[in-house]
Amino acid sequence: MSAGWIYNFPFEININLKAIDDAVRAFSVKYEAFFKVITKSLGGLVNSINFVLNKIPWFVLILLVFIVIWRTSNKISKGIIFSSLLFLVGVAGLWNLMNETLSIIIASVVISLLFGFPIGILISTSNRLNKAVRPILDTMQTMPVFVYLIPALLFFGLGKPPAVIATTIYAIVPIIRLTNHGIRQINAEVVEASLAFGSTKLQSLIKVQIPQALPTIMTGVNQTLMMAMAMVVTTSMIGATGLGMEVLIGVNRIEIGRGLVSGSAVVIMAVILDRATQGLVQRSEVKTDGQ
Amino acid sequence: MKKFISVLLLSVLILTLTGCEASTKKEISFADAGWDSIKFHNAVAGTIINELYGHTWTEISGSTTVVHEGLIKGEIDIHMEVWTDNIATYDDDLKNDRLKELGVNFDDNYQGIYVPRYVIEGDAERGIEASAPDLKTVWDLKKYPEIFPDDDNKDMGRIYGGIPGWEIDRILENKFYFNNLDENFIYFRPGSDAALSAAITSAYEKGQPIAAYYWEPTWLLGKYDMVLLEDNPFNPDTYQNGETELPAVRVTVGMSNDFAKDNQELIDFLSKYRTSSALTSEALAYMQDTGSDYVEAAKWFMSEHPELLDQWLNTKDAKKIKDSLNK
Amino acid sequence: MDNNNDNILSVKNVSKLYGPDKNKAIEMKKSGTNKDLIHKKTGVTIALWDVNLDVKKGEIFVIIGLSGSGKSTLIRCLNMLNKPSSGEILYEGKNIRKFNKKELNEFRRNKISMVFQQFGLMSHRNIIGNVEYGLEVKGMSKEDRHRKAKEMIGLVGLEGHEYEPISSLSGGMMQRVGIARALANDPDILLMDEPFSALDPLVKKDMQFELLTIQKKLDKTIVFITHDINEAFKLGDRVAIMKDGEVIQIDTPEEMSTNPATDYVRDFIDGADKTQVISVRNMMVTPNSIVRKKDNLSYAIRMMRSNGVSSAYVVSQKMKLEGIVTIDDALRANKDGQTISDVLISDIMTTTPDTLLSDILPMAAEARFPIAVIDDDGSIKGIISKAQVLSSII
Repeated sequence: MSAGWIYNFPFEININLKAIDDAVRAFSVKYEAFFKVITKSLGGLVNSINFVLNKIPWFVLILLVFIVIWRTSNKISKGIIFSSLLFLVGVAGLWNLMNETLSIIIASVVISLLFGFPIGILISTSNRLNKAVRPILDTMQTMPVFVYLIPALLFFGLGKPPAVIATTIYAIVPIIRLTNHGIRQINAEVVEASLAFGSTKLQSLIKVQIPQALPTIMTGVNQTLMMAMAMVVTTSMIGATGLGMEVLIGVNRIEIGRGLVSGSAVVIMAVILDRATQGLVQRSEVKTDGQ
Repeated sequence: MKKFISVLLLSVLILTLTGCEASTKKEISFADAGWDSIKFHNAVAGTIINELYGHTWTEISGSTTVVHEGLIKGEIDIHMEVWTDNIATYDDDLKNDRLKELGVNFDDNYQGIYVPRYVIEGDAERGIEASAPDLKTVWDLKKYPEIFPDDDNKDMGRIYGGIPGWEIDRILENKFYFNNLDENFIYFRPGSDAALSAAITSAYEKGQPIAAYYWEPTWLLGKYDMVLLEDNPFNPDTYQNGETELPAVRVTVGMSNDFAKDNQELIDFLSKYRTSSALTSEALAYMQDTGSDYVEAAKWFMSEHPELLDQWLNTKDAKKIKDSLNK
Repeated sequence: MDNNNDNILSVKNVSKLYGPDKNKAIEMKKSGTNKDLIHKKTGVTIALWDVNLDVKKGEIFVIIGLSGSGKSTLIRCLNMLNKPSSGEILYEGKNIRKFNKKELNEFRRNKISMVFQQFGLMSHRNIIGNVEYGLEVKGMSKEDRHRKAKEMIGLVGLEGHEYEPISSLSGGMMQRVGIARALANDPDILLMDEPFSALDPLVKKDMQFELLTIQKKLDKTIVFITHDINEAFKLGDRVAIMKDGEVIQIDTPEEMSTNPATDYVRDFIDGADKTQVISVRNMMVTPNSIVRKKDNLSYAIRMMRSNGVSSAYVVSQKMKLEGIVTIDDALRANKDGQTISDVLISDIMTTTPDTLLSDILPMAAEARFPIAVIDDDGSIKGIISKAQVLSSII
């Protein structure tokens, strides 16, 4: 057909995919020792969190959830509802699996905050940096998880360490974005005021900018937590045990009941974590509203 | 401006319409359960059907269970590799006439716990010493937990088991307990076959020991030199409990009931479609080596093995395909 | 350099440009190209151009201009929130542009502070937390800064509110907090960037009054930005008027209103309420019928008749004003053989030469006679008629 070029590209370039494969593999072999250290420390982190969680008696955790939800929502009824839901998770025999999942979530969120918060602050100080980082953040959120999940396996093996890394890559984005946004949206005069009174940059940041941005940053913490929860089932596909693996087994075997029960446990976890951190957002808003 | 746009749209429309062939030909959907060999067989069957009957073909992707459900629902027409043992409900589905089993694609495949050959024999070329020279059987693993360490639990070894949801996962877990490996090993579910092959690839490239479930025919076992650990001789009554070696899985060709109603010529062809694990691995290895795609590999495969075409098709049709390959 | 000791701040040849090719822009500007064209051609915005001014110790120096005239940029150069592109800013003879980070912070902590248009208060801190902020960053002990902050909160009339959150305050109260915060550091110079323009007119008036009171009490130098000519003339000892990043005229309000440097200044001032600017001194006239208390009535009558007025001012020694006699009273009393003292109306309206016209408006409205202008020892300096006062409003 003479008009073939209308519907077909006139030429295509053969991308040497194999070279990419080989390069990644060679890289993973070359820096094995380095990746091993990271893997070990991530594994250690998750395991120690899990160890601590398992040492907390179940009723203490339920009571804690009751108090936190009650205090943040100011409604006893909500406290009762959410702590009973948590009780159900235990009754369904999923308590230890929940702790396993929770330890991956906590580790990922802690790492996300540890890196995301300073990065957010950093890019809030420079428009150029912000422009450079934005497409990276977009990529991190839109890149199909498996694209980096499988290479992560080459570097970090299977199990919880790569799960923490994959979750962090996905969940770190909101805390970076909202920290940046929170600091940028502060009334310019408030920042000027802090400088005009002779604050150093650090004083201005710690005493004024971060406290002023706190409600937005807290929203970021909440969003990061929710994103991490969203990765629970995905990371089970690279061998992360916990509720996600239960869901995966249930779904793969079309054991609808099993999937539903463990899936519900994931939802209960997510809702409790969401409410608790939403409470934090509201409290920080009360402190900084006004202007 | 508006006028210009409408003229433009109209001309695009006309071009598009004339570009379409008015067709009564069908589009056949093959199951793509995610691994290489099924895509290869899809390409072979699809190429032949396209050449003989003019039907186009496409693939619908999903996990093993999802594509199986798709076949039952009639959303998928043909499934070239139904790994019958991996589908818990397969016998039941067949009994209740939820799908058509046309024939066996291959049944000479191995599966079980593999370790890289260098773990047992070492690899002088890569400078790897044999770390477990006496490792022969599944229960020998017990002696070497420190060779296959689990990242999360010190003092424990790790065995990479089946993909959650595959029937084999249950059998392997039984095998794990049957051989008392739970005393110093963790039965680790890799979560997905991509993850499992990544784990093996990663270990192999680094020259590290790994003990993992895998199966043939796959490019992975074609590419890497892995040894299948021995087990008790196969016993159909007890293998489900993990007591013996695993049977070669009957990998069948399935068709949905809807599609089977008026495609007798395809039923005739696919009922005779039969390859072997070795042949399939050969084709997959060709792909890995040359970087060709599935259809190219399928054409290469058919011209390498014209005798298969003679077995699958009548003389006239076989000749037609051979002629098209020579073009 | 004319380093006059009275000058606490001197701005010398300061320019501020934003954008890429500044040199090109400077050349174009020097050759007289206008600001908009320069921006179009080079992308450079000229925010300030060759600004020169001196601020005297203890004065209220007002900078006025429309939005975009560069006045906010200029005031931010004075504490280096904006860094000038060229020129010098001298504080007590030291060029603050040459300050390193530490010196700049010391300068900001001890010598100069700022009040903002939108108050610039930190909503996560309560009132006292805001007021003590400047003391906190310079490392004062908690006890000391609390004491100092409380003192300042008292000064601006907010005692008892120390621990209230910012969000509970009205605009006027917020700006009081802003002023207290600025004063807490005990700075020499107070920069005020349109501090009252966000406030409603009544509150604004109160705040202006209070600012003057505070300034009198603490004797601070104040640089005050506004776009309101009335505010400028009311508060300013001297006023600088800016247009397109350049200073057009610097003068006292009176001098400026009587001798505007350009038409732009004149137009600007025409928008002003002159009663706010012009004092009685400028409008009063010498009374042409003054009689002494001991004069006889027929003299007073003759005086009034010859001048064509209906009243005469009665003075004692040294022109001390005693009262007024009207022509009607004088004629009647003359028939009855009375003296001036018998018909003297001593209860009359008076004012002083320095009073603003705006302040005698209510008085003028009720006045039956021209208002007498007397100085501190009571001697008459002139009179100002009802008609004169009221005409100045228009």
